[in-house]
Amino acid sequence: MDKDDGDFKTRLKIAKEKFNKDFLAESNKRGSFMGSAFRLGTELVAAVAVGTIIGFILDSWFDTKPWLIIIFFFLGSAAGMMNIIRTAKRMQKEE
Amino acid sequence: MATNPMHQFQVHRVGPEIKFGGIDLSFTNASLFMFISALVICLFLFLGTKEKKIIPNKMQLISELLYNFIAKMISDTAGAKAKPYFSFIFSLFVFVLICNMVGMLPYSFTVTSHIIVTLIMAMFIFVAVTVIGFIKHGFKYLSIFVPSGVPALLLPLITVIEIISYLSRPVSLSVRLFANMMAGHTMLKVFGGFVVSLGILGGWLPLSFSVALTGLEILVAFLQAYVFAILTCIYLNDALNLHH
Repeated sequence: MDKDDGDFKTRLKIAKEKFNKDFLAESNKRGSFMGSAFRLGTELVAAVAVGTIIGFILDSWFDTKPWLIIIFFFLGSAAGMMNIIRTAKRMQKEE
Repeated sequence: MATNPMHQFQVHRVGPEIKFGGIDLSFTNASLFMFISALVICLFLFLGTKEKKIIPNKMQLISELLYNFIAKMISDTAGAKAKPYFSFIFSLFVFVLICNMVGMLPYSFTVTSHIIVTLIMAMFIFVAVTVIGFIKHGFKYLSIFVPSGVPALLLPLITVIEIISYLSRPVSLSVRLFANMMAGHTMLKVFGGFVVSLGILGGWLPLSFSVALTGLEILVAFLQAYVFAILTCIYLNDALNLHH
């Protein structure tokens, strides 16, 4: 009897863990994964866009037409990569 | 018939035209739904905090839950120093959340699906955080652009990259909210259009998609408000605690 009781408790524990893992976590995670993916995507695009816009503005200031926009495009891409690495690190810390 | 999926995002005038010095200040449907959202929030919080019982009723329970949720979020991400900014972040989160949720109602207008609304909010946060940083640390605040442990040769390059990364904050903050809301609502409308055009025989599949998407959209509405608020906390944290 005592052995059965312990067996039942472990089975209940396993079942509860499985439920928590499968249902609750899965249904929440799918949404938040999409959120995380979107967060990383916009982080990259925003930095590239801002870099390019800065390059464009500086180009029309200094009259160096194609050069600064090219340089700042790459700098913006680098900034985007950095943003992504930072965001991903923060996400890993959250979990 | 309004089968154009972008039709729902059109801003049009409600009531009389008001011109003030060449600027159109008319009351539009966007302002109407912002007003409704603000009214819903005020009414909800007023009813929730009217009777301060020890054993709370449902309304009080929800508002207390909301308060605790934001308070915990701020203390987790930005620390105790961010306490004074609680009311701002609380208002921001609740406003974005209720705007998103009001937008989920049929025939309503989603204020946050317009980039100008989200960009203004993000710009305000960006300027406010920068000003707070300079007030708290003076010119030492500029040291966030100079990460420690970088070789002197690379320092100018890294600084420029850091500045671009800093300037991209309001853009990514606003574009994320705007794009999520707009994409979701367009998708809902497209599937709704499929239901109508396929009729009673073939319309069931897009209808089931539409139902699933509505559930997803409600999740996204909450999630995006949360992300908006938590990123504000993170930026505030960078400004308040100057070392990372």
